[in-house]
Amino acid sequence: MTEENEYKEIEKEIVLERLRQVPPTFKISLGSAEGKFMNRDDLIEEVKKESSIGEEIINIQLAYLRAFKKGAFS
Amino acid sequence: MNYVLFSRPKHDITMEYLFYYSKELVKLTEDSGLKAINLEKEGANKKTIIERIIKQKPNLIIFNGHGTAKTICGHKNEVIISGDENSEVLKDAITYSLSCSSASKLGPEAVSNGALAFIGYKFDFAIGRDPDSEASPRRDKIARFFIEPSNILVSNLIQGKNAKYSVFIAKEKMRENIDYLSTTKDFPDAIHYAPYLYGNHAGLVIRGNEEASI
Repeated sequence: MTEENEYKEIEKEIVLERLRQVPPTFKISLGSAEGKFMNRDDLIEEVKKESSIGEEIINIQLAYLRAFKKGAFS
Repeated sequence: MNYVLFSRPKHDITMEYLFYYSKELVKLTEDSGLKAINLEKEGANKKTIIERIIKQKPNLIIFNGHGTAKTICGHKNEVIISGDENSEVLKDAITYSLSCSSASKLGPEAVSNGALAFIGYKFDFAIGRDPDSEASPRRDKIARFFIEPSNILVSNLIQGKNAKYSVFIAKEKMRENIDYLSTTKDFPDAIHYAPYLYGNHAGLVIRGNEEASI
């Protein structure tokens, strides 16, 4: 495994761990042409299979964490 | 007379939420002395929308719909505007696309084909949903954190503010909502919604003339 791939796997695990903390009642509509709201398990599945929505979820979660760390929010 | 065209499909649950929240924008348009061309439900189809744009040349075009990097869709996901086919119909208008990703490629293409400004999202647009609302937009206390900033943006455009100011005010509201969701103890799920609203904040962009107004 290259260093870049290893880094990506770590990021994916961080996001999966965050998603495991989400309550099962959570609902979000994100990039679905069917207009469905996804629950926690749907999000985890998308990240695990590295779909385009899964990639987007990883990017969103990491961007939020970086912004939070920089003090962008209260 | 300035015209504002709304495309408001309602064929799935996400579109129902956008449909509900955009009702007040149609009313605001009429109350502001502008003419609203309200194409809703089955009326949000390609033939009708393109005909009305060509005939009435709206100054402001508001799309609710699913989308991709190069398309905006209407009723039952019919492609209304495609970067490969007809983005020139947005010529001379300000467009706001409340859809996923369309500002990434379609927006710049529309501007290069004469659109005054294209405001939209370069990533997927997210909407959170309150599990206790039973999918009723009116009762949903989560969805409003996601959709109200978008309504503030459109309200400002309708009232003659330019694209830059309208987006600035919308982003300020998003930041306020992200702060709230990140820190509130009012309901336990709140913090889990904050990253997705941050995604909307990061994805909202203006293509074309930032000073454009109606």
